[in-house]
Amino acid sequence: MTEAVFRETSAEPRTQAVPLSHLSLELGHFYMEDFEAGPAHLRQHFDRVRPWVEAARTVAVDQAGGKRPRISTCFLIDDYFARFSSPAELVPLLLAEADRAGLVIDYLARESGCAVTGKVPVAEAVAGRIVEEPPPGSYGIRPPAAQTGWLANGERSPTARAPQAMKRAAAWQPPTETAARRHSVFLDVELWSDGPDGRRTWSCPFLAAVWQLARLGLLRNRGEAVLSPHPHPHPHPDADSEFPEDWDELPTLVRLNPRADPFAAYRTCSVLPNRFLPVEHAVRVILDQVEVDPEALHQVAERSARESVAVPDSVADRVSYLFYAGT
Amino acid sequence: MGPEETAARAVLACGEVRTCLLPAGQALDSRAAAQLLRLRADERVLVSERPNLYGRSPDTLTGVDCPLPSSNGARVRAVGTVAARAALTEGRVLQTSAYFRVPATGPDHRRPWGHYLVRPGVVEPFGKLPREAVAQGLLDGGGLGELDVGLIAGGLLTRLLRHPLLDQRPPLRSRPTRLRWVALPTQHGDGPSIERFTVAEDELRTVRLRVPEGTRSAEIAGLCDDLALHDWLLTTVVHILDGIRLGPGTPRARPLPGPAEGRPTVVQALRPAVDHLLHLWMPRARVSRELAPLWTALEEQPGFTRQWQALVQRIRDQLTLHAIPPASREVEPSP
Repeated sequence: MTEAVFRETSAEPRTQAVPLSHLSLELGHFYMEDFEAGPAHLRQHFDRVRPWVEAARTVAVDQAGGKRPRISTCFLIDDYFARFSSPAELVPLLLAEADRAGLVIDYLARESGCAVTGKVPVAEAVAGRIVEEPPPGSYGIRPPAAQTGWLANGERSPTARAPQAMKRAAAWQPPTETAARRHSVFLDVELWSDGPDGRRTWSCPFLAAVWQLARLGLLRNRGEAVLSPHPHPHPHPDADSEFPEDWDELPTLVRLNPRADPFAAYRTCSVLPNRFLPVEHAVRVILDQVEVDPEALHQVAERSARESVAVPDSVADRVSYLFYAGT
Repeated sequence: MGPEETAARAVLACGEVRTCLLPAGQALDSRAAAQLLRLRADERVLVSERPNLYGRSPDTLTGVDCPLPSSNGARVRAVGTVAARAALTEGRVLQTSAYFRVPATGPDHRRPWGHYLVRPGVVEPFGKLPREAVAQGLLDGGGLGELDVGLIAGGLLTRLLRHPLLDQRPPLRSRPTRLRWVALPTQHGDGPSIERFTVAEDELRTVRLRVPEGTRSAEIAGLCDDLALHDWLLTTVVHILDGIRLGPGTPRARPLPGPAEGRPTVVQALRPAVDHLLHLWMPRARVSRELAPLWTALEEQPGFTRQWQALVQRIRDQLTLHAIPPASREVEPSP
């Protein structure tokens, strides 16, 4: 088709592209209680993470087809569910312990950024993109996922009603996993809860799913990239620390290493302790039912094809984990 | 290469368009239109002001896993997503359109849901698709439990009609219409064609198209939205003219005094059409260049624009006649 003579920019959707690495490697996901446990806990974590980081890098080299893979590392701090201390105090400690273990944290993210970044309600937007997996027999009725705040990987058990007097209770029926192989592993994930004041609290698995989408370079808000890394803020000359006193003053995603490869990547790998297993199962159930921006998806497909890197079709399949024993 | 080409080649596309008058006293301006059509907070509403004011929502998906309707009773289970979107023309006519495409074959088992979500608007059959039988089945409308694309378009329309921006005071009475379409690939590299346009029931139209292979289903849906819009305009204006009593009616024994005699029925009935509908006629405003020639067939037979012009002329003539004070009229206006 020949180029149109007349163009209207508001009528042409455009989607910003983001730079992409081969692998986004998560070195940890810390809650405030992890920090409360003191520097020894951090040290132990990084000691356990290190060998798996090496393994993940080796795999990434294979997947990059012999070229030097672009790998960026990141670390997620939960400042959403509880707050403790300050970035000025904690971040230098975190970086020192990582450095001790021979690890470099390229990007540091705050979990509240997965809920809201700047003025963008990131989590709400992702919730709006959920397309529920239809159980067999769905012929066009939309299941009301958005109303319940729960997302399952199959069909729930029929609601058990209290048996009326003289009537036998209906026999229990099991839930079913839609993609079950003979037997079900049914999972029902709470996406959010609403407080009495009407404030919505996003669940940890839901924010972790948003975090994965950010690392895969698949989040957009009206075509603009969301959760883009900010350069390391220049400290005030007479500040005690190069990091701010208040968590809110720290950008939601900071590039700590100026020479780091791009934050977003074709694939992600997270090295986490075992206790994250149920959360990450839930993340997979969520990711499998989020329709990401098709143009963002297309950009990744095109770029990876150009450099001959295989990227799985399905978004959930781009995510991998290494779980180490411990807490 | 667009995202559409990465998926398996579609050999059948199908959709349904619902068209209705926006139930609001005033047409929405482009800002309000964008607000109405913001189905997703994170996606822009497409707004265009040339050659007319038009807004279109982002696509939303609905997951399906059910048999496809077929005319010969073949049961073909299919899994995937149906895309749906809404459009508002000149802030006045609201349309919702649901559509999907089907490849010739699919795996004989259901894949993980993530597989379908990266193929928006694709419904994959289990095994081989009996194309002709399913195309006819879709046009005829399925049985209970079979894929119902109209249900999805209707669901989106119902959701939009409840929007708080709408005061539920439409300026004229009109009925919504449905247009259901299927498109099959052309043979031997032929250009696109309309095989049949049927005014099936009062408010249902069916269209059977042939389009070159690789035509994007969103573009076919765009063409069908355009057909549905203009068919709705014709239907609505015909209905308005149908419902009014032209001319003086039964002669009164004693004429009522005053200049307003005879005016209210005709002028009041026709005025909303002039205020809200007559400027909307603009075939092919947003139809892709490849599919625009399909309009030509309808212009020849039955002659959509010809009929529209006749209707418009009739309305203008009536209003002109009624603008002449009765004292100056030699005869009373009549049809």
